[in-house]
Order: sequence, then C-alpha cells, then structure tokens
Amino acid sequence: MVYDAIIVGAGIGGLSAGLNLAFNNKKVLILEKNGLPGGVVTTFKRGRFEFDASLYDLMDYGSVEHIGSIKRLFKKYNLDIDTSPIPYNVRIKALDNQFEEVIKGEIDDWVLRLEELYRGSMSTFRNMLPILKEIDEALKAIKKGKKSLEDYPNFMKYIDMNAYDALVDLNIPTNTIHILGYFWIEIGSPLNKLSFIDFAECLYKLIFKRPVAVKEKNTSFALKLAKRFVELGGKIYYHSCVKNIKLDNTSEVTLTNGKTYKAKEIICNTSERYALKNLIENELAFANQKENARTISMNGLVIYLGLNKSYQDLKLYNYRYYEFQNLNSAINIKSMNKLYHHTIEGIVPNIINENASPKNTTILVLKTWYNMDAWKNIDKKNYYQTKNELAQSLIHEFEEAFHVDIEEYIEEIEIASPYTFKKHTNWDNGCFFGNMRLGYDNSINRLLSYQDELIPHLSFVGASSVFGSGVDNAFYSGYYVTEKLLEEKRSNYE
Amino acid sequence: MNKIEKLKKERKDIIDSASKKIPKNTLIDEVILNNHNIYHTIISSIKEETNDTKTFTLTIDKESNTTMLPPFIPGQYITLYLTISDIPTSRAYSLSSSPNLSLKNEYEITVKRVEGGLVSNYMLDELKVGDKLDISNPSGNFGYNPVRDEKNVVAIAGGSGITPFMSLARAILEGMYDCNLTVFYSVKTYDDIIFRKEIEEINKKNKNVCFIITLTREEKDGFLHGHLNKEMIEPYIKEFNTILMCGPKSIYKTMNEILNEFNIPRKSVHYENFAVTYEPDEIKTYELKVIMNESTVTIPCKSNETLLVTMEKNKIKAPSLCRVGECGYCRSKLLVGKVKMIGASIERSLEDDGYIHPCVSYPDSDITLKLDI
Repeated sequence: MVYDAIIVGAGIGGLSAGLNLAFNNKKVLILEKNGLPGGVVTTFKRGRFEFDASLYDLMDYGSVEHIGSIKRLFKKYNLDIDTSPIPYNVRIKALDNQFEEVIKGEIDDWVLRLEELYRGSMSTFRNMLPILKEIDEALKAIKKGKKSLEDYPNFMKYIDMNAYDALVDLNIPTNTIHILGYFWIEIGSPLNKLSFIDFAECLYKLIFKRPVAVKEKNTSFALKLAKRFVELGGKIYYHSCVKNIKLDNTSEVTLTNGKTYKAKEIICNTSERYALKNLIENELAFANQKENARTISMNGLVIYLGLNKSYQDLKLYNYRYYEFQNLNSAINIKSMNKLYHHTIEGIVPNIINENASPKNTTILVLKTWYNMDAWKNIDKKNYYQTKNELAQSLIHEFEEAFHVDIEEYIEEIEIASPYTFKKHTNWDNGCFFGNMRLGYDNSINRLLSYQDELIPHLSFVGASSVFGSGVDNAFYSGYYVTEKLLEEKRSNYE
Repeated sequence: MNKIEKLKKERKDIIDSASKKIPKNTLIDEVILNNHNIYHTIISSIKEETNDTKTFTLTIDKESNTTMLPPFIPGQYITLYLTISDIPTSRAYSLSSSPNLSLKNEYEITVKRVEGGLVSNYMLDELKVGDKLDISNPSGNFGYNPVRDEKNVVAIAGGSGITPFMSLARAILEGMYDCNLTVFYSVKTYDDIIFRKEIEEINKKNKNVCFIITLTREEKDGFLHGHLNKEMIEPYIKEFNTILMCGPKSIYKTMNEILNEFNIPRKSVHYENFAVTYEPDEIKTYELKVIMNESTVTIPCKSNETLLVTMEKNKIKAPSLCRVGECGYCRSKLLVGKVKMIGASIERSLEDDGYIHPCVSYPDSDITLKLDI
C-alpha cells in the first residue's frame, strides 16, 4: 500500500494538512508518537484541575460579520467547534517606562486612551487601518498565486520596511509604537527586525478577525480535528514514533519499532531542523543551509497553577497580564539572556470561561522567556532545584507587580521547562516560536520564496513552518502547504 | 529588479552563505536525545530488607544504547517492563533511593511480596544480580513540592507505601529541601519494618526528619501500637501543614476523617494512587474484541480482571505505565460495551469522548476496544 501522503506528527499543522488532503479524497496516514493528537495543544490533569497546555486564544477566527481564515476552514471541513469571543482585557506594565495600562472595552476606547496618553495616536492609527487592510488583501492574493501586485501600492511601499521604521513613517507617536508592539516582545522579534508586513497582518487580524477562546479543553479540540480527519477517510496511528525517512518517488518512513510505511509525499509536522537532524536519510544541502542561517526562537518556563480561590477573591480581574522590563522590544528581548529578569505573562482563563476550573478555584498560567543560552549551566544535578527557584521567583514577581497574593493559594502546580517542551514536542532547544522572524526570515520572506525552496516529496507544516508560530498559523500552514501540493498534482494531470 | 525580486535574492544570498552541514544540536536537544521511553538497566545489587522485601539497585546496561538515567524527584515511580512465562507485563514502583543516586546513573526500588502476585514473586524469587531490566522514565506527580507545600510535612505510610518517603527523607538529609518531615509508618509487626536500621539511625541523629512507627499486630517497647489515630498525630500538626499519604485505600479513609478534625484544607493533602482492587459480586465471562491498527482479535475476559491484564495474558503488548488509572498512558477508546473504571483520574472531556483507562477497567458486558498499537 502506497499512501498519497504520510504526515509525521498529529499536531495542529499535521491534522490540518490531513484534513485538507482527506477532504480532497487523498489516502493519508498520520503517524504520531504520543497517544493523543494535538501536539502541544493538549490537556493534563492534576488533582481536580484540568490544565490546557497551550491554546488559550485562537487567532484569525473572527465573527459571523468578520470571518477569519480559521473559522472559514472549520466551516469547509464541517467542524463544529464551540467558541466564545475574547474581549480586550490586557494589563500591561513596563518597569523602565513606569507604564501601567489596561487595554479594555472596544477598540475605539483604547485608541481614545492612547490619544490621551500620547497626542496624535488616534488620527495616525485611523490612517493606518486602510493600509493594514490592503496588506491583508495583498497577502491573500499572493497565497492564491497572484504574481502582479500593482493593485497594492501600500503593500509594495512597505514590503521591505521593518515595523519600527514603517510606524515612524506613518507618524505614530514613539510610545504608541511600542505599545502596539507589545505582542511581539512575546514572540521575540524586535520591531526593528520584524517585517512591517508580518506586523500589519497580525494587527489587522487582532482588530478585525478577533481571537476566540475554544470552549472545550485543548485535548477535546484536537480530538475533534482528528475525528473529522478519520471520518473523511484518513488514518492515524498513535504510539508510532518515526525514526527514519527515505525520500524518493515512493518514500519510505520507518518507525522506532521497525514498521515501514510508503507514500508519494511526506509532510513533516516537525521543525525542518529536527527532521534534517534526526529523520531524513537523504542529503539536503540547501535545507541544511537554510536552517544553519536561521535563529532558533526563545524558549521559556511555564507555570500552571491551580488556586483554591475564585478569581474575584484573588483580585485577578484581567484576562492577560504582562510585565516587561522595557516597552521597547529590542531592549526588552536582550534582558532575556539571563535566567532572572522581569518579563512575565499571566493568563487567567476563568475570566473568559467560568468552567475553566472547578467552582471557587482559578487557573493562573505564568510564562517567561529566555534567549538561546540562558539554560546552559543547568544540568542533571541542579535541574529540579533551578526549576523550583525560577518558579518561586516568577510567582513573587507577579505578586509584586500586580499587587495580588498567589503563593498561599496554590493547590496544584506544574512547571514546564525548555526540557519539558523539547521532550514532549521535539521543539528545537525547547523553543516556543520556531525560527525567529528576523530580517530576511520573516513570514513574508518565507512566503515569497516558498516555491523556490520546495524540496521534492517533502513539505513542512506547523508552528515552525512558513507562517510561524501560533495555532492559527499552524492550522493555516497545513491548509496552505497541502493546497499547493494539490495544485501541483492537478497541473501535472492537465 | 523590483522589490520582491530583491528580497528573494537577499534571502537566497544569506542562505547560500551558510554551512551545508547538518544543523547542530543545542545542549537541550542533546540531553533529550538521550531520553528514551525505555531505559535498559542491569541489576547491580540486591539487598534483603525483610523476609518478604528486597531493594534492587539498577544501573545502566553498558551493552545497550542507554547512556544515562534521568534525574527524578522523590515520590516519582519507574515502571518495569517484563516478560514472565511469555506474558508481557509491567509494574510501577516508587523510587526509594535518594535523587542524588541518579547522578551516578543508579536507581533503587524496594519490592514487597504480594501474595499470588505475578511480578513481585518473580522479582523476589527469580531475579539476581546481573539480570537485565527495561524501565520507563521516572513518572508521577506525587511528592513534596517546595513551591506549593508548607515547611511542616507529615507523611502517612502504610506497608510498602514507605518507599517514596524514604527517598524524600534521604533527599532532605542530603540538603535538597529545607523542610521538616515526620513519617507515620504503619506496619503489621516489628519484622515487617522496611529500612529499619536506616530509620533507627535517622531517628537518633536528626532533628528535621523523624519516623514514628506503629505496629498494628504486635506490641513492642519503643513503638506505638494499633492503627493510626488522632492522638498519635495531633502533636505533629502545626498551624500550616502539608500531608502526604501513600498506602492502601483504608488508610486514606481513616486519615481523611482525622484530618477533617484538624481543619486541614484540601489543598494541603496529597495522595499517591496505590494499587486498585475490585471484587465483583459474581465473576462473569465476556468477550473482548481488540481493534488494533493492523489486526483485530477477540478474546474472553473476566469481570474480575482488568482489560489490561486480560490483553497481556493474551500476549497483546498494550501500552501501560502507572497501572493505577492515574497517568493516562494506556488510555484507549471503548467502542462498544460497559466497564467499571475504579479510581481512574481521567479528564472529563476524554471520558465523554469514550476513553477509558484499561489498567483499571473491569468489563461489565462484551467489549470492543480500539487499541492504538
């Protein structure tokens, strides 16, 4: 039996690729090393708490009036996913800037607030909106294969500009630029190295295709995707860890248990780096060069806390909390070279979903990030101790920054380190966001060169592929990559 | 050249100037590369603790691809994968050694004979120094957590439930944790006390770790007598406490009643899931159909035997790890039929979706199970 495609990994990118191929009547086998689908979109239980590991905000989803790509694809596959809109409710604090604000209410409210803080924000912001829309439309045209982009003069104007320079060009006040860029501190791309196109696409979606919370737990969501894939005729084998891939007209995939499967196309829902290092037998010089030129994104520490009080009692009224050393992403990201620094994210899922944890309890997820080598002095001997000390200091930092008491209410705790993520997901260096979007390797650059960089019989989907990290991008990559494969096949027949 | 062509060329030039060699591993990649689902070990020594209990020291099998044993925290267990008279099976044992021993690539487990038990009898009677054992990663979430827990730790151990607390006591004495530990150890008779010599030494020399032993079936000087009760424990309860329990279910029930009287909040009490037993009113035989990736088999199953054991007896290598319903590694989908699932810690959403933990599931009808192997 030769499959049309074998997909390595049932993460969100792999499931999405599987859905599109099975939807187009292809014979597809997904091989997954774990016992459940979803990759890092998974749920784990500690005592009476069920913690979602990663998916809190599903971006690019939108509403009935402003339908996003992900909602559109779910509709196409007849996937019934229950969601609730996520209101703006983010508290941001920056130590160096002595800045603390809550982004809340409607978009107009916080643009007004920005105007109060920094004059000129409102008019320049409004002037930027049509440009964001044009960029989004241009990107859609490129994805559909359109070569001529004359209809998108603003897209062409900004295509080679970094986000910082472009926002200056748009006369947005400096402080407002940094506030608009807070999101990218988390991803690790300083605004002066992030493409304005990547920035604009993301901001456009944040404003017009609002993120939603998936009402069910991460694992149920992943299981729904997997179930639909199987209904469409696909096959998933769990507990099946791929050890070797030999690319050819009929490629061969071998598992650690020695079983072999054959397919015409191989789609890896792993990073390119992982596949090159550990799976692919063939020599792929250009692919190696591509990875060697890149920068692996930051890794980090995530602390999942089950607290035995309601969020009202704990005074955790915001959905997301950010504390930064500095609002300027370039400065802030540098501070993450050390194990101890002041950048924290907090998420309180109960604000969106009352059922996130049992009655009178709260889940709080705290996160921080580290640059490449911050963990280099951690070994077997001090691993658990370091992890605990880091967690403790992060909890104290959060308590102090936002004037809340957390520590005495901890009923359950799980601390995930770069090693934890590496072990469960195979993310390189335990990194959160695949390769960094820097300069020549922004998503727009990857997209423009996509056709030129194709490897025969091998494609990559997921958070470290063309569109970058995030469940929306991972899901969209599965669609985009398979759509290109299907187009190629269709044109071969013509 | 237009802007797009220029961007593409710039990208290609940067990539072209990079090395053609396979990318290198980072330190983290390297460590995890040596992390396996199964580690091959060899028994390096066996120590008789009591008449029916032995401690096995395991170290890496140098003839295998196992190059290290990962670190662990006191309270975690490892699972042994064995084949006994052609039956593939597994058992989970709490690590009893200090975590520091793992730095020398050694683990210790302490095994007590279970009457009629397949694995414990095999281990105590058949295994000798030099024999090989395949084991899992250290797993489980039970134990002391310095971020979550209070400094006054009271541990309750029944029988072989002492093993995780021995690991914790050793860790505290070696300076890994800054807390006080009092272990209440309930055991039938003086001769059943596991680690007796070491416990006596610790009690003589140390202030922050102390063992209090109660003999339930013997009266002896220097020991408490009878089952654990409120009066025994009361002097050791402070304003803030963390209670850890490991032993048979009957201990948890009594203890919970006692702890309620001390008003100890739920968040401060943690249990290890201990071996599950279930006796149906009447033993019935049903049919179990197991649908695997590439084959399907139908075998008889009994209402007093878990689906996992039934599959193992029929030489099906079903996944398993904790065997007490806790870890979820064996989870499989129940397609047809009804089971009694005893003490499983299963996510609500997965249960709604038809998932069960075969390691603690007893058939209540004919069964069809989807097994993902």
